[in-house]
Amino acid sequence: MQNWKIFKQGVIEELPLQIGVFPFGVIYGIMAIESGLTPIQAFLMSSIIFGGASQIAFVQLVSNGIPTGAILTTVSAINSRHFLYGISMLDYLKNLPLRWRFILSYLLTDEAYAISIRKFINEPKELFLHFHLLGTGLTLFISWQISTLTGVLLGGNLPEFLELQLIIPLTFIAILIPMINSLSTVCVVITSGFSALYLKNLQLDYWIIISGIIGIIVGVITSKLDKKDDLG
Amino acid sequence: MIWVNIILCGIITFLIRFIPLSGIMPRELPLKIKNTFKYIPLAVLTPIIFNGLSIFENNQYFIFENFKLYSALIAVFVALITNNIFATISLGMLSFLIMNNV
Repeated sequence: MQNWKIFKQGVIEELPLQIGVFPFGVIYGIMAIESGLTPIQAFLMSSIIFGGASQIAFVQLVSNGIPTGAILTTVSAINSRHFLYGISMLDYLKNLPLRWRFILSYLLTDEAYAISIRKFINEPKELFLHFHLLGTGLTLFISWQISTLTGVLLGGNLPEFLELQLIIPLTFIAILIPMINSLSTVCVVITSGFSALYLKNLQLDYWIIISGIIGIIVGVITSKLDKKDDLG
Repeated sequence: MIWVNIILCGIITFLIRFIPLSGIMPRELPLKIKNTFKYIPLAVLTPIIFNGLSIFENNQYFIFENFKLYSALIAVFVALITNNIFATISLGMLSFLIMNNV
């Protein structure tokens, strides 16, 4: 059963990331309750939206009385990077039945993508790649629901010194460092990172997307240098 | 009203993820576009890292006593040496807790 073997591989590879995801979900749950959402709203949002950063933004905006249009725009902007994930996986998933693409679309989040795309790139001829994404996505989904519920039940009772929000950048560092293997990827990290700092300071709603696009453009331009200066 | 917002955000988020895989998009994309794909995860996730480290806020750089930044640099070092996600997150977090409480 090669398909379930690959599913299991996805689950196992996704599990270490839960050390970063779980506190994130707990933070969201706590923030949602403190922002005035009911426990049912806070919990079900994690399966209706299923997007950590956008959910935290959502509860912050709701607690400040921001109108629906602005909330929708902000959540769309934060999650629009998932559109790019879908495009980058299109080659590997395009021949699947619609029901599969429907399910995998729902599960296509940062941490599932980050783990599965490495498998997709390294083994493009593997027939059951979609089971890998199913494994990473379901693992993340279950972890996210449990951690959200934990946060909802805890309320605001965690000690502040833990600085759980630091786990978010640490998680992404762990994911991205192995991908930095050429001069162009170094340029992408520097330009997207520093442009994000600058653009966010200008209070642009779309700072993540604009800085990401800047990084991609720089990556494409500098990719011509990679043949001579490949670090990998 | 909160329920309406949650459901609308859920629908929009799903569509953002589904449209690229739905078949609406061209099934064969040009090579140049494909070559840009490898930069997408780095380009969209790096801003989240930089933002999470509070390096530049209110028009001021915050470097010298920024323990989050130092912890992140330690995490980068651990990731380079071990290529292990668990070790990277654990040692990064541990170093922050030590620096912040000494």
